[in-house]
Amino acid sequence: MSDVASAPAMTRAEAEEFLIREARMLDERRLEEWLDLFSEDGIYWLPIQEDKGPNEATSIIYDQPVRREERVYRLLHTIAPVEDPPHRTLHSISNVEVEERTAGELTILSTQVIYAARTGVGVNEMNYFPARCEHIVRQEAGRWRIAVKRVILINRDHALPSLPFIL
Amino acid sequence: MLSLDPQAPIDASELVAETPTEFRVHKRAYTDDEIFKAEMERIFGNTWVYVAHESEIANPGDYVTTSIGLQPVIVSRDEDGGIHVLLNRCLHRGSIVCRYDKGNSNYFRCPYHGWVYSASGKLTGVAQRGTGYDEEYETPEGLGRARVDTYRGLIFANLGNSEISLREHLGEATRYLDLQFDRSPIGETEARYGTFRTSYQGNWKFQCENSTDGYHGDYVHESFFKVVEQFGNRSGQHNTYSGKFAEIKRQRAKLTYTRSFPQGHGLWVSPATQETVDGLRAKYPEYVRMLEEKHGSEKLIDLFSAFNMYIWPNVAILQGQIRVIKPMKVDETEVHYYQLAWKGVPEEYNTEKLRGYERFFGPAGFGAPDDVEIFKLNNIGLQAEKVEWLILDRGLGRDDPAANARGADETPQRSLWRAWREAMRE
Repeated sequence: MSDVASAPAMTRAEAEEFLIREARMLDERRLEEWLDLFSEDGIYWLPIQEDKGPNEATSIIYDQPVRREERVYRLLHTIAPVEDPPHRTLHSISNVEVEERTAGELTILSTQVIYAARTGVGVNEMNYFPARCEHIVRQEAGRWRIAVKRVILINRDHALPSLPFIL
Repeated sequence: MLSLDPQAPIDASELVAETPTEFRVHKRAYTDDEIFKAEMERIFGNTWVYVAHESEIANPGDYVTTSIGLQPVIVSRDEDGGIHVLLNRCLHRGSIVCRYDKGNSNYFRCPYHGWVYSASGKLTGVAQRGTGYDEEYETPEGLGRARVDTYRGLIFANLGNSEISLREHLGEATRYLDLQFDRSPIGETEARYGTFRTSYQGNWKFQCENSTDGYHGDYVHESFFKVVEQFGNRSGQHNTYSGKFAEIKRQRAKLTYTRSFPQGHGLWVSPATQETVDGLRAKYPEYVRMLEEKHGSEKLIDLFSAFNMYIWPNVAILQGQIRVIKPMKVDETEVHYYQLAWKGVPEEYNTEKLRGYERFFGPAGFGAPDDVEIFKLNNIGLQAEKVEWLILDRGLGRDDPAANARGADETPQRSLWRAWREAMRE
Protein backbone atom coordinates (compact mmCIF):
# COMPACT_ATOMS: atom_id res chain seq x y z
CA MET A 1 0.00 0.00 0.00
CA SER A 2 1.59 3.27 -1.05
CA ASP A 3 2.03 5.98 1.51
CA VAL A 4 -0.16 8.71 0.05
CA ALA A 5 1.13 11.30 2.49
CA SER A 6 4.63 11.06 1.03
CA ALA A 7 3.59 10.88 -2.64
CA PRO A 8 4.96 13.85 -4.54
CA ALA A 9 2.40 16.61 -5.01
CA MET A 10 2.13 19.93 -6.72
CA THR A 11 0.38 23.03 -5.60
CA ARG A 12 -1.46 25.09 -8.18
CA ALA A 13 1.31 27.71 -8.04
CA GLU A 14 3.92 25.06 -8.73
CA ALA A 15 1.88 23.68 -11.62
CA GLU A 16 1.52 27.17 -13.08
CA GLU A 17 5.26 27.73 -12.79
CA PHE A 18 5.88 24.46 -14.58
CA LEU A 19 3.58 25.38 -17.47
CA ILE A 20 4.88 28.93 -17.67
CA ARG A 21 8.46 27.66 -17.86
CA GLU A 22 7.46 25.31 -20.68
CA ALA A 23 5.66 28.12 -22.51
CA ARG A 24 8.71 30.38 -22.33
CA MET A 25 10.89 27.66 -23.77
CA LEU A 26 8.48 27.28 -26.68
CA ASP A 27 7.94 30.97 -27.32
CA GLU A 28 11.68 31.65 -27.10
CA ARG A 29 12.35 28.66 -29.37
CA ARG A 30 14.53 26.92 -26.79
CA LEU A 31 13.21 23.68 -28.21
CA GLU A 32 16.04 21.37 -27.17
CA GLU A 33 15.36 22.36 -23.55
CA TRP A 34 11.68 21.62 -24.20
CA LEU A 35 12.56 18.08 -25.36
CA ASP A 36 14.36 17.62 -22.06
CA LEU A 37 11.14 18.28 -20.11
CA PHE A 38 9.76 14.95 -21.28
CA SER A 39 10.34 11.55 -19.74
CA GLU A 40 12.10 9.09 -22.03
CA ASP A 41 8.83 7.57 -23.21
CA GLY A 42 7.06 10.95 -23.27
CA ILE A 43 4.26 11.62 -25.75
CA TYR A 44 3.16 14.93 -27.30
CA TRP A 45 -0.35 14.55 -28.65
CA LEU A 46 -2.92 16.65 -30.50
CA PRO A 47 -5.91 14.35 -30.94
CA ILE A 48 -8.84 14.97 -33.27
CA GLN A 49 -11.23 12.45 -31.77
CA GLU A 50 -10.71 13.04 -28.07
CA ASP A 51 -12.04 9.71 -26.84
CA LYS A 52 -10.12 7.46 -29.23
CA GLY A 53 -6.67 5.96 -28.83
CA PRO A 54 -3.82 6.83 -31.20
CA ASN A 55 -4.26 3.66 -33.28
CA GLU A 56 -8.03 3.98 -33.54
CA ALA A 57 -8.17 7.44 -35.05
CA THR A 58 -5.72 9.75 -36.75
CA SER A 59 -4.29 12.63 -34.72
CA ILE A 60 -3.04 16.03 -35.84
CA ILE A 61 0.10 15.19 -33.86
CA TYR A 62 0.98 11.91 -32.17
CA ASP A 63 4.64 12.25 -31.32
CA GLN A 64 6.39 9.43 -29.59
CA PRO A 65 9.95 10.28 -28.52
CA VAL A 66 11.65 9.91 -31.92
CA ARG A 67 8.99 11.93 -33.73
CA ARG A 68 9.23 14.64 -31.07
CA GLU A 69 12.94 14.91 -31.73
CA GLU A 70 12.34 14.96 -35.48
CA ARG A 71 9.87 17.79 -35.07
CA VAL A 72 12.38 19.91 -33.15
CA TYR A 73 15.19 18.99 -35.56
CA ARG A 74 13.10 20.11 -38.53
CA LEU A 75 12.30 23.43 -36.86
CA LEU A 76 15.84 24.19 -35.74
CA HIS A 77 18.04 22.66 -38.42
CA THR A 78 16.18 22.72 -41.72
CA ILE A 79 14.50 25.33 -43.86
CA ALA A 80 10.87 24.48 -44.54
CA PRO A 81 8.70 26.83 -46.64
CA VAL A 82 5.97 26.85 -44.00
CA GLU A 83 8.45 28.16 -41.39
CA ASP A 84 10.44 30.43 -43.67
CA PRO A 85 9.89 33.07 -42.31
CA PRO A 86 9.11 31.46 -38.96
CA HIS A 87 6.08 31.98 -36.76
CA ARG A 88 6.25 33.91 -33.52
CA THR A 89 4.21 32.18 -30.85
CA LEU A 90 2.74 33.25 -27.55
CA HIS A 91 1.23 30.81 -25.10
CA SER A 92 -1.43 32.27 -22.82
CA ILE A 93 -2.17 30.01 -19.85
CA SER A 94 -5.04 30.05 -17.39
CA ASN A 95 -7.54 27.88 -15.47
CA VAL A 96 -4.83 25.70 -14.00
CA GLU A 97 -5.88 22.74 -11.88
CA VAL A 98 -3.94 19.82 -10.42
CA GLU A 99 -5.46 16.35 -10.23
CA GLU A 100 -3.93 13.32 -8.65
CA ARG A 101 -3.85 10.24 -10.91
CA THR A 102 -1.92 7.51 -9.18
CA ALA A 103 0.75 7.82 -6.57
CA GLY A 104 3.63 9.52 -8.30
CA GLU A 105 1.70 10.91 -11.29
CA LEU A 106 -0.34 14.06 -11.52
CA THR A 107 -2.41 15.63 -14.25
CA ILE A 108 -2.13 19.36 -14.71
CA LEU A 109 -5.16 20.73 -16.51
CA SER A 110 -5.02 24.16 -18.11
CA THR A 111 -6.69 26.34 -20.66
CA GLN A 112 -4.19 27.62 -23.19
CA VAL A 113 -4.49 29.90 -26.17
CA ILE A 114 -1.56 29.68 -28.52
CA TYR A 115 -1.17 32.74 -30.73
CA ALA A 116 0.95 32.43 -33.87
CA ALA A 117 1.92 35.41 -36.00
CA ARG A 118 3.89 35.45 -39.18
CA THR A 119 5.32 38.29 -41.21
CA GLY A 120 6.30 38.01 -44.83
CA VAL A 121 5.32 38.89 -48.37
CA GLY A 122 1.60 38.29 -48.51
CA VAL A 123 1.65 36.02 -45.47
CA ASN A 124 1.11 38.58 -42.72
CA GLU A 125 -1.28 36.60 -40.64
CA MET A 126 -2.17 35.75 -37.10
CA ASN A 127 -3.97 32.66 -35.96
CA TYR A 128 -5.01 31.62 -32.47
CA PHE A 129 -5.61 28.19 -31.09
CA PRO A 130 -7.65 27.82 -27.87
CA ALA A 131 -7.19 24.43 -26.28
CA ARG A 132 -7.68 22.35 -23.18
CA CYS A 133 -4.30 21.03 -22.17
CA GLU A 134 -3.55 17.99 -20.08
CA HIS A 135 -0.01 17.43 -18.85
CA ILE A 136 0.51 14.10 -17.13
CA VAL A 137 3.67 14.60 -15.10
CA ARG A 138 5.69 12.30 -12.92
CA GLN A 139 8.70 12.67 -10.67
CA GLU A 140 11.93 11.26 -12.04
CA ALA A 141 15.13 11.76 -10.07
CA GLY A 142 13.66 14.68 -8.16
CA ARG A 143 12.35 16.54 -11.23
CA TRP A 144 8.87 16.72 -12.66
CA ARG A 145 8.82 15.36 -16.21
CA ILE A 146 6.09 15.22 -18.81
CA ALA A 147 4.86 11.70 -19.55
CA VAL A 148 2.03 12.87 -21.81
CA LYS A 149 1.19 16.35 -23.09
CA ARG A 150 -2.25 16.41 -24.70
CA VAL A 151 -3.47 19.55 -26.46
CA ILE A 152 -7.16 19.36 -27.31
CA LEU A 153 -7.97 22.22 -29.67
CA ILE A 154 -11.58 23.31 -29.47
CA ASN A 155 -11.64 23.50 -33.29
CA ARG A 156 -9.68 20.30 -33.88
CA ASP A 157 -12.15 18.97 -36.44
CA HIS A 158 -12.32 22.16 -38.47
CA ALA A 159 -10.27 22.85 -41.59
CA LEU A 160 -7.10 24.10 -39.92
CA PRO A 161 -4.24 26.25 -41.10
CA SER A 162 -0.74 24.82 -40.88
CA LEU A 163 0.62 24.06 -37.40
CA PRO A 164 4.37 23.75 -37.83
CA PHE A 165 5.27 25.20 -34.38
CA ILE A 166 4.98 23.48 -31.01
CA LEU A 167 1.66 24.20 -29.29
CA MET B 1 2.39 34.43 -76.11
CA LEU B 2 -0.66 36.51 -76.97
CA SER B 3 -1.86 38.97 -74.39
CA LEU B 4 -5.52 38.71 -73.41
CA ASP B 5 -7.49 41.94 -73.14
CA PRO B 6 -8.44 42.22 -69.46
CA GLN B 7 -11.64 44.09 -70.41
CA ALA B 8 -12.97 41.57 -72.93
CA PRO B 9 -15.36 38.80 -71.85
CA ILE B 10 -13.49 35.57 -71.23
CA ASP B 11 -13.86 32.43 -73.29
CA ALA B 12 -12.40 30.04 -70.78
CA SER B 13 -11.10 27.68 -73.42
CA GLU B 14 -8.73 30.45 -74.56
CA LEU B 15 -7.05 30.30 -71.19
CA VAL B 16 -5.23 27.10 -72.16
CA ALA B 17 -2.95 27.65 -75.14
CA GLU B 18 -1.20 24.67 -76.69
CA THR B 19 1.25 24.39 -79.60
CA PRO B 20 3.61 21.51 -80.40
CA THR B 21 6.34 23.15 -78.31
CA GLU B 22 4.46 25.18 -75.72
CA PHE B 23 1.69 24.60 -73.20
CA ARG B 24 0.53 27.70 -71.38
CA VAL B 25 -2.24 28.41 -68.90
CA HIS B 26 -3.50 31.92 -68.27
CA LYS B 27 -3.38 33.20 -64.68
CA ARG B 28 -7.09 34.02 -64.80
CA ALA B 29 -7.91 30.32 -64.64
CA TYR B 30 -6.71 30.50 -61.03
CA THR B 31 -7.77 34.01 -59.97
CA ASP B 32 -10.94 35.04 -61.78
CA ASP B 33 -14.24 34.84 -59.91
CA GLU B 34 -16.35 34.52 -63.08
CA ILE B 35 -14.26 31.53 -64.14
CA PHE B 36 -14.74 29.98 -60.70
CA LYS B 37 -18.52 30.33 -60.94
CA ALA B 38 -18.47 28.78 -64.39
CA GLU B 39 -16.35 25.88 -63.07
CA MET B 40 -18.91 25.15 -60.37
CA GLU B 41 -21.53 24.77 -63.05
CA ARG B 42 -19.67 23.28 -66.00
CA ILE B 43 -17.34 20.98 -64.08
CA PHE B 44 -18.70 20.24 -60.60
CA GLY B 45 -22.33 20.40 -61.76
CA ASN B 46 -21.75 18.22 -64.76
CA THR B 47 -19.48 15.25 -64.11
CA TRP B 48 -18.68 12.46 -61.64
CA VAL B 49 -17.58 13.99 -58.37
CA TYR B 50 -16.26 11.96 -55.41
CA VAL B 51 -18.40 12.32 -52.29
CA ALA B 52 -17.62 9.59 -49.72
CA HIS B 53 -16.26 6.14 -49.02
CA GLU B 54 -18.79 3.34 -48.55
CA SER B 55 -17.33 2.45 -45.18
CA GLU B 56 -18.33 5.90 -43.89
CA ILE B 57 -21.98 4.89 -44.34
CA ALA B 58 -21.65 1.19 -43.66
CA ASN B 59 -25.01 0.63 -41.95
CA PRO B 60 -28.60 1.47 -42.91
CA GLY B 61 -29.40 4.97 -41.64
CA ASP B 62 -25.76 6.11 -41.72
CA TYR B 63 -25.09 9.42 -43.42
CA VAL B 64 -22.37 11.98 -43.98
CA THR B 65 -22.72 15.51 -45.32
CA THR B 66 -20.39 17.05 -47.86
CA SER B 67 -20.65 19.17 -50.99
CA ILE B 68 -20.55 18.87 -54.76
CA GLY B 69 -18.79 22.09 -55.70
CA LEU B 70 -20.63 24.54 -53.48
CA GLN B 71 -23.86 22.53 -53.34
CA PRO B 72 -24.48 20.92 -49.94
CA VAL B 73 -25.36 17.24 -50.11
CA ILE B 74 -26.18 14.33 -47.83
CA VAL B 75 -24.75 10.91 -48.66
CA SER B 76 -27.02 8.36 -47.02
CA ARG B 77 -27.61 4.62 -46.78
CA ASP B 78 -31.28 3.68 -46.71
CA GLU B 79 -32.83 0.75 -44.83
CA ASP B 80 -32.44 -1.54 -47.84
CA GLY B 81 -28.75 -0.72 -48.14
CA GLY B 82 -29.10 1.62 -51.13
CA ILE B 83 -26.90 4.72 -51.36
CA HIS B 84 -28.37 8.16 -52.05
CA VAL B 85 -26.77 11.52 -52.70
CA LEU B 86 -29.37 14.14 -51.83
CA LEU B 87 -29.29 17.90 -52.07
CA ASN B 88 -29.23 19.07 -48.47
CA ARG B 89 -31.91 21.66 -49.08
CA CYS B 90 -35.52 21.59 -47.90
CA LEU B 91 -37.92 21.79 -50.81
CA HIS B 92 -40.09 24.22 -48.87
CA ARG B 93 -38.12 27.36 -48.08
CA GLY B 94 -34.53 26.33 -48.67
CA SER B 95 -32.99 25.55 -45.26
CA ILE B 96 -30.49 22.73 -44.99
CA VAL B 97 -32.19 19.75 -43.42
CA CYS B 98 -29.13 18.03 -41.94
CA ARG B 99 -26.63 20.01 -39.88
CA TYR B 100 -24.22 17.30 -38.75
CA ASP B 101 -21.05 16.00 -40.36
CA LYS B 102 -22.20 12.44 -39.89
CA GLY B 103 -24.64 10.31 -37.97
CA ASN B 104 -27.32 7.69 -38.15
CA SER B 105 -30.98 8.45 -38.67
CA ASN B 106 -33.82 7.01 -40.71
CA TYR B 107 -35.18 10.49 -41.37
CA PHE B 108 -34.13 14.11 -41.73
CA ARG B 109 -36.33 16.80 -40.24
CA CYS B 110 -35.98 20.36 -41.48
CA PRO B 111 -35.28 22.63 -38.49
CA TYR B 112 -37.36 25.45 -39.98
CA HIS B 113 -40.95 24.11 -40.38
CA GLY B 114 -40.49 20.47 -39.51
CA TRP B 115 -40.86 18.86 -42.93
CA VAL B 116 -39.59 15.27 -42.79
CA TYR B 117 -37.64 13.28 -45.39
CA SER B 118 -36.66 9.61 -45.30
CA ALA B 119 -33.04 8.45 -45.58
CA SER B 120 -33.71 7.90 -49.26
CA GLY B 121 -34.83 11.53 -49.62
CA LYS B 122 -38.57 10.97 -50.00
CA LEU B 123 -40.79 13.67 -48.47
CA THR B 124 -42.75 11.74 -45.86
CA GLY B 125 -44.23 14.47 -43.72
CA VAL B 126 -45.47 18.04 -44.06
CA ALA B 127 -46.15 19.59 -40.65
CA GLN B 128 -49.68 20.89 -40.07
CA ARG B 129 -50.60 19.77 -43.54
CA GLY B 130 -54.39 19.70 -43.15
CA THR B 131 -54.70 23.30 -42.00
CA GLY B 132 -52.53 24.78 -44.74
CA TYR B 133 -53.06 22.81 -47.89
CA ASP B 134 -56.08 21.35 -49.76
CA GLU B 135 -56.58 17.63 -49.73
CA GLU B 136 -55.58 17.40 -53.41
CA TYR B 137 -52.43 19.48 -52.87
CA GLU B 138 -49.52 17.77 -54.56
CA THR B 139 -46.44 17.73 -52.42
CA PRO B 140 -43.08 17.38 -54.10
CA GLU B 141 -41.62 13.89 -54.26
CA GLY B 142 -38.48 14.47 -52.24
CA LEU B 143 -35.08 16.07 -51.90
CA GLY B 144 -33.17 16.83 -55.07
CA ARG B 145 -30.84 14.02 -55.95
CA ALA B 146 -27.71 13.22 -57.90
CA ARG B 147 -26.98 10.07 -59.85
CA VAL B 148 -24.84 7.73 -57.78
CA ASP B 149 -22.34 5.07 -58.68
CA THR B 150 -19.48 3.41 -56.87
CA TYR B 151 -16.16 1.81 -57.64
CA ARG B 152 -14.54 -0.45 -55.04
CA GLY B 153 -15.86 1.53 -52.10
CA LEU B 154 -15.49 4.99 -53.66
CA ILE B 155 -18.85 6.77 -54.00
CA PHE B 156 -19.25 9.25 -56.85
CA ALA B 157 -22.21 11.48 -57.67
CA ASN B 158 -23.22 13.27 -60.86
CA LEU B 159 -25.58 16.25 -61.02
CA GLY B 160 -25.36 16.56 -64.79
CA ASN B 161 -27.08 14.96 -67.73
CA SER B 162 -24.22 13.44 -69.67
CA GLU B 163 -24.47 9.80 -70.66
CA ILE B 164 -20.95 8.99 -69.55
CA SER B 165 -20.92 6.20 -66.97
CA LEU B 166 -18.63 6.22 -63.94
CA ARG B 167 -16.59 3.39 -65.43
CA GLU B 168 -16.09 5.35 -68.65
CA HIS B 169 -15.16 8.39 -66.61
CA LEU B 170 -12.60 6.44 -64.57
CA GLY B 171 -11.22 4.68 -67.63
CA GLU B 172 -7.69 3.35 -67.10
CA ALA B 173 -7.49 4.94 -63.65
CA THR B 174 -9.18 1.81 -62.30
CA ARG B 175 -5.93 -0.09 -62.80
CA TYR B 176 -4.11 2.23 -60.39
CA LEU B 177 -6.96 2.20 -57.89
CA ASP B 178 -7.00 -1.60 -58.00
CA LEU B 179 -3.28 -1.77 -57.25
CA GLN B 180 -3.79 0.32 -54.12
CA PHE B 181 -6.89 -1.49 -52.87
CA ASP B 182 -5.52 -4.96 -53.67
CA ARG B 183 -2.93 -4.48 -50.99
CA SER B 184 -5.76 -5.94 -48.94
CA PRO B 185 -5.89 -9.72 -49.47
CA ILE B 186 -9.67 -9.46 -49.64
CA GLY B 187 -9.51 -6.32 -51.78
CA GLU B 188 -11.28 -4.09 -49.29
CA THR B 189 -10.43 -0.84 -47.56
CA GLU B 190 -12.04 1.05 -44.71
CA ALA B 191 -12.04 4.74 -43.77
CA ARG B 192 -11.80 4.01 -40.07
CA TYR B 193 -9.36 6.63 -38.85
CA GLY B 194 -11.26 9.86 -39.43
CA THR B 195 -10.26 12.93 -41.36
CA PHE B 196 -7.63 15.65 -41.43
CA ARG B 197 -9.07 18.92 -42.59
CA THR B 198 -6.95 21.78 -43.79
CA SER B 199 -7.60 24.97 -45.69
CA TYR B 200 -5.49 27.31 -47.78
CA GLN B 201 -5.75 30.67 -49.50
CA GLY B 202 -5.53 29.70 -53.14
CA ASN B 203 -7.36 28.09 -56.03
CA TRP B 204 -8.53 24.46 -55.83
CA LYS B 205 -6.57 23.46 -58.90
CA PHE B 206 -3.23 24.10 -57.11
CA GLN B 207 -3.90 21.05 -54.93
CA CYS B 208 -5.05 18.97 -57.90
CA GLU B 209 -1.87 19.77 -59.80
CA ASN B 210 0.36 19.23 -56.79
CA SER B 211 -1.00 15.75 -56.13
CA THR B 212 0.79 14.41 -59.19
CA ASP B 213 3.72 16.83 -59.33
CA GLY B 214 7.00 14.93 -59.32
CA TYR B 215 9.12 18.00 -59.92
CA HIS B 216 8.69 19.87 -56.64
CA GLY B 217 9.73 17.26 -54.07
CA ASP B 218 13.46 17.99 -54.03
CA TYR B 219 12.81 21.64 -53.21
CA VAL B 220 9.58 21.96 -51.27
CA HIS B 221 10.17 18.79 -49.24
CA GLU B 222 13.87 19.14 -48.60
CA SER B 223 13.26 19.54 -44.87
CA PHE B 224 11.36 16.26 -44.78
CA PHE B 225 14.14 14.40 -46.55
CA LYS B 226 16.68 15.90 -44.16
CA VAL B 227 14.64 14.45 -41.29
CA VAL B 228 14.64 11.03 -42.99
CA GLU B 229 18.38 11.30 -43.55
CA GLN B 230 18.99 12.15 -39.89
CA PHE B 231 16.54 9.82 -38.20
CA GLY B 232 15.72 7.05 -40.65
CA ASN B 233 12.19 5.74 -40.66
CA ARG B 234 11.88 4.55 -37.07
CA SER B 235 8.95 6.87 -36.39
CA GLY B 236 7.02 5.79 -39.49
CA GLN B 237 7.69 5.67 -43.21
CA HIS B 238 6.15 7.93 -45.82
CA ASN B 239 6.10 6.55 -49.36
CA THR B 240 9.14 4.36 -49.99
CA TYR B 241 11.77 6.96 -49.10
CA SER B 242 14.74 6.06 -46.96
CA GLY B 243 18.41 6.88 -46.69
CA LYS B 244 20.41 9.90 -47.69
CA PHE B 245 18.70 12.81 -49.45
CA ALA B 246 21.08 12.65 -52.41
CA GLU B 247 20.31 8.97 -52.86
CA ILE B 248 16.55 9.56 -52.59
CA LYS B 249 16.80 12.24 -55.29
CA ARG B 250 18.76 9.91 -57.53
CA GLN B 251 16.37 7.00 -57.10
CA ARG B 252 13.41 9.25 -57.64
CA ALA B 253 14.76 10.65 -60.87
CA LYS B 254 15.49 7.14 -62.09
CA LEU B 255 12.37 5.23 -61.06
CA THR B 256 9.37 7.53 -60.89
CA TYR B 257 6.99 8.02 -63.79
CA THR B 258 3.78 9.82 -64.70
CA ARG B 259 0.83 9.29 -67.04
CA SER B 260 -1.99 11.31 -68.54
CA PHE B 261 -5.56 10.14 -69.15
CA PRO B 262 -8.08 11.37 -71.74
CA GLN B 263 -10.60 12.13 -68.96
CA GLY B 264 -8.25 14.60 -67.22
CA HIS B 265 -6.89 12.28 -64.54
CA GLY B 266 -3.19 12.22 -63.71
CA LEU B 267 -0.84 9.66 -62.22
CA TRP B 268 2.53 9.87 -60.49
CA VAL B 269 4.22 6.68 -59.35
CA SER B 270 7.12 6.01 -57.01
CA PRO B 271 7.73 2.29 -57.54
CA ALA B 272 8.69 -0.02 -54.74
CA THR B 273 11.88 -2.03 -55.15
CA GLN B 274 12.60 -5.69 -54.57
CA GLU B 275 14.24 -4.50 -51.36
CA THR B 276 10.92 -3.00 -50.19
CA VAL B 277 9.14 -6.28 -50.86
CA ASP B 278 11.84 -8.38 -49.20
CA GLY B 279 11.69 -6.16 -46.11
CA LEU B 280 7.93 -6.54 -45.90
CA ARG B 281 8.15 -10.28 -46.45
CA ALA B 282 10.58 -10.58 -43.54
CA LYS B 283 8.33 -8.53 -41.28
CA TYR B 284 4.92 -9.87 -42.36
CA PRO B 285 5.59 -13.30 -43.92
CA GLU B 286 2.03 -14.60 -43.76
CA TYR B 287 0.54 -11.42 -45.22
CA VAL B 288 2.96 -11.23 -48.13
CA ARG B 289 2.45 -14.94 -48.82
CA MET B 290 -1.33 -14.37 -49.06
CA LEU B 291 -0.85 -11.60 -51.60
CA GLU B 292 1.62 -13.69 -53.56
CA GLU B 293 -0.82 -16.60 -53.70
CA LYS B 294 -3.61 -14.34 -54.89
CA HIS B 295 -1.74 -12.13 -57.36
CA GLY B 296 1.54 -13.83 -58.15
CA SER B 297 5.01 -12.82 -57.02
CA GLU B 298 5.62 -10.57 -60.07
CA LYS B 299 2.77 -8.36 -58.85
CA LEU B 300 4.22 -7.70 -55.39
CA ILE B 301 6.38 -4.75 -56.39
CA ASP B 302 3.32 -3.07 -57.94
CA LEU B 303 1.15 -3.77 -54.92
CA PHE B 304 3.60 -2.03 -52.59
CA SER B 305 4.43 0.87 -54.90
CA ALA B 306 3.25 4.40 -54.15
CA PHE B 307 0.61 5.54 -56.63
CA ASN B 308 -0.70 9.10 -56.63
CA MET B 309 -3.86 8.71 -58.72
CA TYR B 310 -5.64 12.03 -59.25
CA ILE B 311 -9.19 11.60 -60.55
CA TRP B 312 -10.63 14.63 -62.32
CA PRO B 313 -12.01 16.84 -60.90
CA ASN B 314 -11.93 16.60 -57.11
CA VAL B 315 -10.21 13.58 -55.61
CA ALA B 316 -6.84 11.92 -55.44
CA ILE B 317 -6.28 8.40 -54.14
CA LEU B 318 -2.67 8.37 -53.14
CA GLN B 319 -0.87 5.61 -51.32
CA GLY B 320 -4.10 4.33 -49.79
CA GLN B 321 -5.17 7.78 -48.74
CA ILE B 322 -8.20 9.64 -50.05
CA ARG B 323 -7.68 13.36 -50.63
CA VAL B 324 -10.82 15.38 -51.38
CA ILE B 325 -10.36 18.85 -52.84
CA LYS B 326 -13.20 21.20 -51.91
CA PRO B 327 -13.42 24.54 -53.67
CA MET B 328 -14.91 27.25 -51.45
CA LYS B 329 -14.04 30.43 -53.37
CA VAL B 330 -11.73 31.20 -56.28
CA ASP B 331 -8.92 31.70 -53.74
CA GLU B 332 -10.03 29.49 -50.87
CA THR B 333 -9.91 25.72 -50.77
CA GLU B 334 -10.41 23.04 -48.17
CA VAL B 335 -8.64 19.71 -48.40
CA HIS B 336 -10.02 16.74 -46.46
CA TYR B 337 -7.98 13.62 -46.33
CA TYR B 338 -7.92 10.31 -44.60
CA GLN B 339 -5.81 7.23 -44.60
CA LEU B 340 -7.61 4.04 -45.44
CA ALA B 341 -7.07 0.85 -43.47
CA TRP B 342 -6.62 -2.27 -45.56
CA LYS B 343 -8.87 -5.09 -44.39
CA GLY B 344 -7.35 -8.47 -43.73
CA VAL B 345 -3.79 -7.20 -43.26
CA PRO B 346 -1.90 -7.40 -39.94
CA GLU B 347 -3.08 -4.60 -37.63
CA GLU B 348 0.53 -3.63 -37.12
CA TYR B 349 0.85 -2.89 -40.83
CA ASN B 350 -2.14 -0.53 -40.79
CA THR B 351 -0.81 1.18 -37.67
CA GLU B 352 2.61 1.55 -39.28
CA LYS B 353 1.04 3.20 -42.32
CA LEU B 354 -0.99 5.47 -40.05
CA ARG B 355 2.17 6.64 -38.29
CA GLY B 356 3.88 7.23 -41.63
CA TYR B 357 0.89 9.17 -42.88
CA GLU B 358 0.83 11.41 -39.78
CA ARG B 359 4.53 12.08 -40.26
CA PHE B 360 4.02 13.73 -43.66
CA PHE B 361 0.41 14.83 -43.96
CA GLY B 362 -2.01 16.95 -41.98
CA PRO B 363 -1.61 20.49 -40.68
CA ALA B 364 1.35 19.49 -38.48
CA GLY B 365 2.99 17.01 -40.83
CA PHE B 366 6.53 17.40 -42.10
CA GLY B 367 5.50 17.59 -45.75
CA ALA B 368 1.97 18.73 -46.60
CA PRO B 369 2.15 22.14 -44.84
CA ASP B 370 5.01 23.07 -47.17
CA ASP B 371 2.79 22.34 -50.18
CA VAL B 372 0.06 24.46 -48.61
CA GLU B 373 2.57 27.27 -48.17
CA ILE B 374 3.43 27.10 -51.87
CA PHE B 375 -0.27 27.36 -52.80
CA LYS B 376 -0.44 30.57 -50.77
CA LEU B 377 2.64 31.93 -52.51
CA ASN B 378 1.20 30.98 -55.90
CA ASN B 379 -1.97 32.84 -55.12
CA ILE B 380 -0.05 35.98 -54.25
CA GLY B 381 2.32 35.71 -57.22
CA LEU B 382 -0.59 35.36 -59.63
CA GLN B 383 -1.97 38.74 -58.60
CA ALA B 384 0.68 40.05 -61.02
CA GLU B 385 -1.38 41.05 -64.04
CA LYS B 386 1.45 41.99 -66.34
CA VAL B 387 2.88 38.46 -66.57
CA GLU B 388 -0.10 36.52 -67.83
CA TRP B 389 0.84 32.94 -68.65
CA LEU B 390 2.06 29.96 -66.64
CA ILE B 391 4.54 27.63 -68.31
CA LEU B 392 3.66 23.92 -68.31
CA ASP B 393 6.01 22.73 -71.07
CA ARG B 394 8.03 20.18 -69.14
CA GLY B 395 8.09 16.88 -70.99
CA LEU B 396 5.71 18.14 -73.66
CA GLY B 397 5.71 15.43 -76.32
CA ARG B 398 5.56 12.59 -73.79
CA ASP B 399 1.83 12.94 -73.13
CA ASP B 400 0.62 9.87 -75.02
CA PRO B 401 -1.86 8.31 -72.58
CA ALA B 402 -0.75 4.86 -73.71
CA ALA B 403 2.79 5.39 -72.44
CA ASN B 404 4.56 6.53 -69.29
CA ALA B 405 6.22 9.92 -69.07
CA ARG B 406 9.03 10.86 -66.67
CA GLY B 407 8.43 11.48 -62.99
CA ALA B 408 9.16 15.21 -63.20
CA ASP B 409 7.28 15.81 -66.46
CA GLU B 410 4.22 18.05 -66.30
CA THR B 411 2.24 15.41 -68.17
CA PRO B 412 -0.42 14.91 -65.45
CA GLN B 413 -0.97 18.67 -65.13
CA ARG B 414 -1.48 19.05 -68.88
CA SER B 415 -3.95 16.17 -68.69
CA LEU B 416 -6.01 18.18 -66.20
CA TRP B 417 -5.86 21.35 -68.30
CA ARG B 418 -6.97 19.64 -71.50
CA ALA B 419 -10.02 18.26 -69.71
CA TRP B 420 -10.61 21.67 -68.15
CA ARG B 421 -10.49 23.37 -71.51
CA GLU B 422 -13.04 20.92 -72.92
CA ALA B 423 -15.39 21.24 -69.96
CA MET B 424 -15.22 25.03 -69.95
CA ARG B 425 -15.76 25.55 -73.68
CA GLU B 426 -18.57 27.98 -74.49
